[in-house]
Amino acid sequence: MALEPTSHESPVATNFNTSLLDSGKASRRTLFDRTLRILVTMGGSTVLAAIVLIFLYLLWTVAPAFAPAGISDNGQIALVDRQARLVDFNEAGDVLMRVAADGITEFVAVDSGAPLVAYDLGFKVTQAQRVYPTLDIYAVLDEKQRLWLVRASYDVAIRAGVRSVTPRLEAAFSNQFISLGKTDSFDVHLANDSLVIASMNDTQMSMLRYDNAELGLPLLNAAQANLTVDNSIEKIILGPRNEWVYLQDIDNSLHVYDITDPNRMRELFHTQLASATRSLTATVALLGRQSILAADDRGVITQWTVVRDDLGFRMQPIRNFELGSAIHTLVSEPRRKGILAATVDGYLHLIYPTSGNTQTQFAADQTTPHVNAISPRADQFVTADNSRLHLFQLDNPHPELSFSALWNEVWYEGYSEPVYSWQSSAADNDFEPKFSLVPLVFGTLKAAFYALLFALPLAVMGAIYTAYFMPAHIRTWVKPGIEVMAALPTVILGFIGGLWLAPIVEQELASVLSAFVMVPCALVACALLWSVLPNSKRERVAGGYALLVVPAIIAAIILGFQIGPWFENAWFGGDSRTWLREVAGLDYAQRNALVVGMMMGLAVIPPIFSIAEDAIHGVPQHLVNGSLALGATPWQTLSQVVLLTAAPGIFSAVMIGVGRAVGETMIVLMATGNTPIMDFNVFEGMRTLAANIAVELPETEVNSSHYRILFLTAFVLFMITFFFNTIAEIVRERLRSHYGNL
Amino acid sequence: MADLLNKTNRNRLDRNEVWIWLNAGALALSLCAVVFIVLLIMRNGLIHFWPTPIYAVEYTNAAGQTEKLIGERVDINTLSRIQYIESGGDASRLTDDAQVVERWLFNTGNRRTNPPDFRWVYAHDVTLIETPAELAKVERIEWGPAFGRIIELRFDNADGSKRIVNDVELNPLLQNTLARLNSNREAIASLEHGTINQINAELKTIRLQQRALNLDPPADAEARLQQLASQEAVLLQTYLEQEQILSGLLKNLEGSALLLEIQSNAARLIELADTLYVTYPNNMGGLEKVGTFLANIGRFLSDNPREANTEGGVFPAIFGTVLMVLLMSVVVTPIGVVTAIYLHEYASQTTLVRMLRIAVSNLAGVPSIVYGVFGLGFFVYFLGGNIDQLFYADALPAPTFGTPGLFWASLTLALLTVPVVIVSTEEGLARIPRSLREGSLALGATRAETLIQVVLPMATPAVLTGVILAVARAAGEVAPLMLVGVVKLAPALPIDGEFPFLHLDRKFMHLGFHIYDVGFQSPNVEAARPLVYATALLLISIIVGLNLAAITLRHRLEKRYRSYE
Repeated sequence: MALEPTSHESPVATNFNTSLLDSGKASRRTLFDRTLRILVTMGGSTVLAAIVLIFLYLLWTVAPAFAPAGISDNGQIALVDRQARLVDFNEAGDVLMRVAADGITEFVAVDSGAPLVAYDLGFKVTQAQRVYPTLDIYAVLDEKQRLWLVRASYDVAIRAGVRSVTPRLEAAFSNQFISLGKTDSFDVHLANDSLVIASMNDTQMSMLRYDNAELGLPLLNAAQANLTVDNSIEKIILGPRNEWVYLQDIDNSLHVYDITDPNRMRELFHTQLASATRSLTATVALLGRQSILAADDRGVITQWTVVRDDLGFRMQPIRNFELGSAIHTLVSEPRRKGILAATVDGYLHLIYPTSGNTQTQFAADQTTPHVNAISPRADQFVTADNSRLHLFQLDNPHPELSFSALWNEVWYEGYSEPVYSWQSSAADNDFEPKFSLVPLVFGTLKAAFYALLFALPLAVMGAIYTAYFMPAHIRTWVKPGIEVMAALPTVILGFIGGLWLAPIVEQELASVLSAFVMVPCALVACALLWSVLPNSKRERVAGGYALLVVPAIIAAIILGFQIGPWFENAWFGGDSRTWLREVAGLDYAQRNALVVGMMMGLAVIPPIFSIAEDAIHGVPQHLVNGSLALGATPWQTLSQVVLLTAAPGIFSAVMIGVGRAVGETMIVLMATGNTPIMDFNVFEGMRTLAANIAVELPETEVNSSHYRILFLTAFVLFMITFFFNTIAEIVRERLRSHYGNL
Repeated sequence: MADLLNKTNRNRLDRNEVWIWLNAGALALSLCAVVFIVLLIMRNGLIHFWPTPIYAVEYTNAAGQTEKLIGERVDINTLSRIQYIESGGDASRLTDDAQVVERWLFNTGNRRTNPPDFRWVYAHDVTLIETPAELAKVERIEWGPAFGRIIELRFDNADGSKRIVNDVELNPLLQNTLARLNSNREAIASLEHGTINQINAELKTIRLQQRALNLDPPADAEARLQQLASQEAVLLQTYLEQEQILSGLLKNLEGSALLLEIQSNAARLIELADTLYVTYPNNMGGLEKVGTFLANIGRFLSDNPREANTEGGVFPAIFGTVLMVLLMSVVVTPIGVVTAIYLHEYASQTTLVRMLRIAVSNLAGVPSIVYGVFGLGFFVYFLGGNIDQLFYADALPAPTFGTPGLFWASLTLALLTVPVVIVSTEEGLARIPRSLREGSLALGATRAETLIQVVLPMATPAVLTGVILAVARAAGEVAPLMLVGVVKLAPALPIDGEFPFLHLDRKFMHLGFHIYDVGFQSPNVEAARPLVYATALLLISIIVGLNLAAITLRHRLEKRYRSYE
């Protein structure tokens, strides 16, 4: 169906300001006339308003994703002067906990600064740290080298609309403590019910592994192991799932040991984190512990990630951040893969390595803050010295998004090289989301390309035939036929493609391909046969090619399927898919671009056909007659007069077709495997922008980064189709007035 | 033009002829593809309802033993010799010159007790295939159909003994019992969806009121709470009574079973309470087959889906689709008509009009999924969220309108289909001869009067055409609906006996989404396939029917307008 009226003559403006209209009734009539005009004008503009609203709303939803992060000072809380060992927020971010060296643990309300409750642990604290990841469990080491595992819990009560929080501190497991022996540094990690305590005494590492650790129950049956390394170790970090341990020695060297089997611990890899001329000032693991960030005294932070590939296990530096002056503290965000770095000159730097987003804030009164902590929701952080807590508001909801994260190759954790990748979610919480739009845009263009490859020749040639060669009485039948084709729901085309066509193409690949060749061959053969027929016979079926052609096509397809197996045996070693895989090196997926191209081709034929047919049919008859009168053959007239005149119309038909193919959802969703790969191979699938939205948006948390990115993809789709549609509309408008002038 | 071809130079013609043939071929190929798809869906969709023979098959399995199965043959296809060998086939069973191998797919039913239900058997392995008249198809509520010989019927007597029927009485008794049980089931359904649902709704209202009173207590909170508590007690009492009636009805279902021999020497007891109907396809005459065919179609159109949508009917999906497009047409008609009137009757060729035309062509060209995204963000979360804050604060945080639902789906699709109505109406307006307008104006009518009394009545069929096309478009659209309110299984229809009767906030089922969901998301795609074809056939008939209606209407209109000129 063509989307324009056949003419837009506007009725003449008339002014019947006659005496009849002067009476009271007449003034009511005039009033009604004017009101209706205003109402209709307003109503008519709603369509314009709608398109503007869609544009603005999409933009409005996307915009916050690219707003810069904000850090603002949120005031200070004065406390009794104690040497702080650890400061941390609770999950909701409304209570702060401070563990001091003298064993006093205080809880303070964040908004009012009021002390809530304090506990005396009863021992002196030498070191304390949070036990990764989600529960508020802390490991506290006392001066007698005993390790206490304590858990903070927060009881929330709402009375008369007022929320009150009561913090509690209790033993996490029913053991009192675990004696470690002399300890320089330690790390405790709870992963999949397995609690590992690793502690260093100079060059001696001892490890305790409790499988089946359950809160509130005693820790039993420790598997114990010891390991001696060559150099004194400064920092120890347990790896993901307690599979390995990172040891950083005093010479800036990083050693990675496999600890899956306590009896057979072995070194997997070692590397130099910084050259000898620099000294490391801070090291921290990102959430998930797949990568380590090391900061040095020149203000450079390097991200190292674990890569496990054919070359084996190794640590790979993947990016640097230069902050200008020496860094004294690195803190990682508890729920995201971001870090906070404090430099000695008093600046705070907020860094999100994956997207390369950084944000810097000068904190004037910072000299050398002891402890930093970021709240679990990453909406505030605190720096602390002995007598006060300094709070900062953090407005950084979408650090994952940046131009480079969306459009450039990104070196993700665990990858051996930078890649374009779309992988928005996974089962575990410490997964690094990969938001590259490149594979999706690639998939969209690939699907559109193959669909148009199939549809353009059919639609444009069909339109030429219908508009130029076909007798009028057949034409009145063909146009409704194409309209019915346009009305076929895409969900049905997708279903046929995915469940019927895809298995057939997979099984009879050679036959399908040979049918592709046979059909044009058969048509050419028919044409040659036709031209040797005597004129008298041809006149009888003049113009009825379309009818004659149908049996030819059906015969060609049947023939294609008949010779397909022969073809396969002769050229493809009996099985074309094996041949493709082994000789041509092409993978074959059942639901692939070939199937999508055919089914989506069928969906975009009708709009292209309608517009192209209108354009060709609209070429003024006198041009055709003139050309024929000058002795040109009908074909010469067509190719040198009609098509040249109608070219803008055909161009706009193609534009409309591109717009349709880019935005089609259901066919791609059902007839491909929806894998976001970047492979132009026609026998592989793809994931398009539209299908991606349909798959992921229903399961996305509102206003999350993922949600906004999906809105961004919708916006991109909107803009692409807007571009093509507007060009098509403008070109057609010009063509119409051009025809009018002819 | 064709006769011109003959008078031109023969040599030149030969080359050109090829192009003309290719052009004709392109058109024919497109049309053939459409016809083929429609025929394919018709064949596979209708076959689902036609009673197919049940085969008893003896074949040699891969291990060389003889096996038996009873089931419907649902597919026949061929493998090349190489594919056969690659998939682990035994080459020694083939004759040397056999290049293709035929294999048959049987649905043996009995999904739970005798998996797998779909089995491929190579034709050359089959030693015996027959269709004994006594084989029965037992359609069950759960686990799909069962095929086999009914050996006997068992009834529990009141004294605990069993009555066993295995003579000539068996089938009449079976059909009678099934009819009785089916009417019993209907009684249960009406009780559950009627009275008990009503009570639950009232209880929910009371709880919401209680919550509101507790959250923000007014002066007389105590008294009102007590009043609510007594109301609640009365309702709970009624509920218990109704539940007793229900359990009585449920008990009526029990106590009868049939023993079905599903293979030689293997029999299963099937409770009649789990059985919907029993047919003997092998024993049917032509007329009986037609009867069963029509009955199956009737069930498909009027039943609720069963077994994760892979069995039963699609009534809720039909209902949801129709209601959604009706609501949509209420919204889309005025907007589309007014815009068309503005464009054609009022506007002069200004920049605004050019922008409007670009907007209309863009609204028609923006991918439907973008409408879904917009609908979800703007209608559902923005408008719906604010409506909830203003009018349904009691129920928060459970959203009422702040979640995808019928109303938002209708609005989204109205936006999507508005260009269809505009274009069609404008075409209609353009066909009305200018002389009629001028005549009206010359007689002293204002432009508004001309519009309302002359132009619009004449344009009505064109508007109707537009609305029909819009409805057809909306009925087939799936992508945006997935975001704004369609679900695979809606717990309740959007219209029922509970105030306010039309529930705009409810989620609904849709035929197009049903195809996607059952065909691609269901656990047993093979078993669901016939139903998907049937649903596709239904959807395609609706849409093609609507389109043909629109085309016919437009055609008549053209004729009528021609007569004015």
